[in-house]
Amino acid sequence: MSGEFIAFFILSLFTIGGAVFMISFTRVVHMVVSLAFTFLSIAGLYVLLEAEFVAVTQVIVYAGAVAIMMLFGIMLTPHREQEEDAGRAQKVVAFIAVAAFFLIAFFIIQGTTWDPSVHHFTEDNTTMIGKTIFTQYVIPFELVSVLLLVALVGAIILAKREENDSE
Amino acid sequence: MEQYLTQPLSLQTFIIFFASAVALLLLVLGFVTYAIYFERKVIGWMQARIGPNRVGPLGLLQTVADVLKLLLKEDTIPKKADKPLFLIAPIIAFVPSFAVLAVIPFTDKLHFADLGVGLLYYLAISSISTIGVLVGGWASNNKYALIGGMRSAAQMISYEIPLVMSVIGVILITGSLNLIDIVERQREIGMWFIIPQFLGFIIFLIASISELNRTPFDLPEAESELVAGYHVEYSGFRFAFYMLAEYVYVFAMSALTTVLFLGGWLPPFEFLSFIPGIVWFILKFSAVVFFLFWVRATMPRIRVDQLMSLGWKVLLPLALVNIFITAVVKEFIA
Repeated sequence: MSGEFIAFFILSLFTIGGAVFMISFTRVVHMVVSLAFTFLSIAGLYVLLEAEFVAVTQVIVYAGAVAIMMLFGIMLTPHREQEEDAGRAQKVVAFIAVAAFFLIAFFIIQGTTWDPSVHHFTEDNTTMIGKTIFTQYVIPFELVSVLLLVALVGAIILAKREENDSE
Repeated sequence: MEQYLTQPLSLQTFIIFFASAVALLLLVLGFVTYAIYFERKVIGWMQARIGPNRVGPLGLLQTVADVLKLLLKEDTIPKKADKPLFLIAPIIAFVPSFAVLAVIPFTDKLHFADLGVGLLYYLAISSISTIGVLVGGWASNNKYALIGGMRSAAQMISYEIPLVMSVIGVILITGSLNLIDIVERQREIGMWFIIPQFLGFIIFLIASISELNRTPFDLPEAESELVAGYHVEYSGFRFAFYMLAEYVYVFAMSALTTVLFLGGWLPPFEFLSFIPGIVWFILKFSAVVFFLFWVRATMPRIRVDQLMSLGWKVLLPLALVNIFITAVVKEFIA
């Protein structure tokens, strides 16, 4: 039993455990904290796959920025302690949807033929990602940047308008 | 260290990993104990006081006594607090502060993980501490703690951006995110990055003091407005954990400043290279730590409405200018 296997076992346990607790907790702040645990464990799984850069980006973007933004949003808005229980019909529909999704995902994963050879990316994979993005995929990369910028400007305009309305 | 990292995991290597991590922890705890003592002494002298001088010779055991008092104190939990989050928040704040030390190279031989993305790893892991502070402030169910936690999170997020931007100049010159490569590059070009990246160094220094929540940026725990900020409800060893996280970050941030801008273990002149690298590292590291104490004794606290505009309107544009100049110089001159 290698160290990699033990690490994989612990990290997947944390990933799934965080996700399960995220659903079963009743207070919203608890949910976000357990979600942050899931994000961190996923970053750990990326490290095991030798994708260090993706792992670090996962921590910066999801565990750092997204989790803190969600905590901020929840703390600054009023919310009820307990969500009211869903009706019977809603539960049945939710169960059918989840079961259907599980079956589809399960059969697609089963049906895929995986490339059995193992790739090793230990040599400078951060440099390779940088070079690929800024040569081969530079136009999609710039387009995504413009999209994010538009979203940012849009958010500022929305916030400004609300401020003007209240005056 | 290097030969152990490439071996498969066996009981022997596991014990070596574990023992070296424990040794680093003890070293850091020793540092924290005497950093607090020196901070109080230095600030005392700067304010024409004596500082701690009662417990032990020259007051050397003052911090030990303080820590002992904290550990013996009752671990109070407010009745209306969110109990589970209140209990784990100090741990969430502390664990990342120790985890970032894994990538700091002390000399070219003495280092733990030799990670390709070392610098990004540091910046990523240190942002998790914010969750601990924010959750601790919220779980206390106290208005001062909540405001302190909010301020702390807003400040840490805002100043993380100039902090990351200011080191891009260093990354551009080195062409690597590996902290050991960064020091080696400073040996190759024959000068420390503080000279070609002076603007970046200044921005990094200001942003790092703010990230550490130290004076003049200690708004999250501004005593005169917020009593104590996010840890107002904490006592005993959980309070000690928050303080420990703060001082371990002082250790980590000073070590990072040394590695990035002051040449790490490199001697200032070639003829001084008979002195081992670890001595140079400790000297530069101590100078950075002393600078933090000096600033704390000298500067008044910045006003809360000036804080955000300093970060977003001054430091961030300056950092962008620094990146631009570095890129132009690298492209056309070097």
